[in-house]
Amino acid sequence: MAFEKPAGRRPAGAGAPRRRFVRRKGCRFCADKTMKIDYKEIRTLRYFISERGKIVPRRISGNCAEHQRKVCEAIKRARNIALLPFTAGHAID
Amino acid sequence: MRTYETIYIVNPEATGDAYAAIVDKFKGVLTEQGASIIKVDEWGVRKMAYPIKKQTRGSYVLTVFEAQPEVIKEFERRMRIDENIMKFQTVYLEKGFEASAPAEAQEAEAAVEQEEKAE
Repeated sequence: MAFEKPAGRRPAGAGAPRRRFVRRKGCRFCADKTMKIDYKEIRTLRYFISERGKIVPRRISGNCAEHQRKVCEAIKRARNIALLPFTAGHAID
Repeated sequence: MRTYETIYIVNPEATGDAYAAIVDKFKGVLTEQGASIIKVDEWGVRKMAYPIKKQTRGSYVLTVFEAQPEVIKEFERRMRIDENIMKFQTVYLEKGFEASAPAEAQEAEAAVEQEEKAE
């Protein structure tokens, strides 16, 4: 099964090109200068955490380095004050 | 003077007068040390992302104020002592208060929406 992964790059069939098909989204904070990164604004931050509560990496979110750093910081602050979860596990209510 | 923003969670079991007393008490702690309060925003009771002190809900209070750095130490010490304060966080606003003003208006809306969802 360990060989599944390296092989996985090619097989997709359908004549997939060697490049990964993920389209590179631009940084949404650079595109829209009015958007603020704030730990209190969890609506914006929700977009950058996975269902598990993990921070979405830059290669997926498409953020630039500067904004990813700020988003990361904001998410951690929001977690500390219980606006965002650390993990989905403790969401028992 | 520097601008800071403290957000603290009051135990939701403290309601009405008890709650108002707590908020007033901490306003007093700031003013008696020469800090000037710019804004106090009570978000009301909302669900927390994880339980704190066996509570799943908490009453959020956001305070924006200008103060000397030493004030924070005393303010946080007093919050640690009070059992009704479940958690707090102080953030230094480098750009002052104005920059964050529009963001808070949106947050207020978001909070309302969240409560509606919860219902």
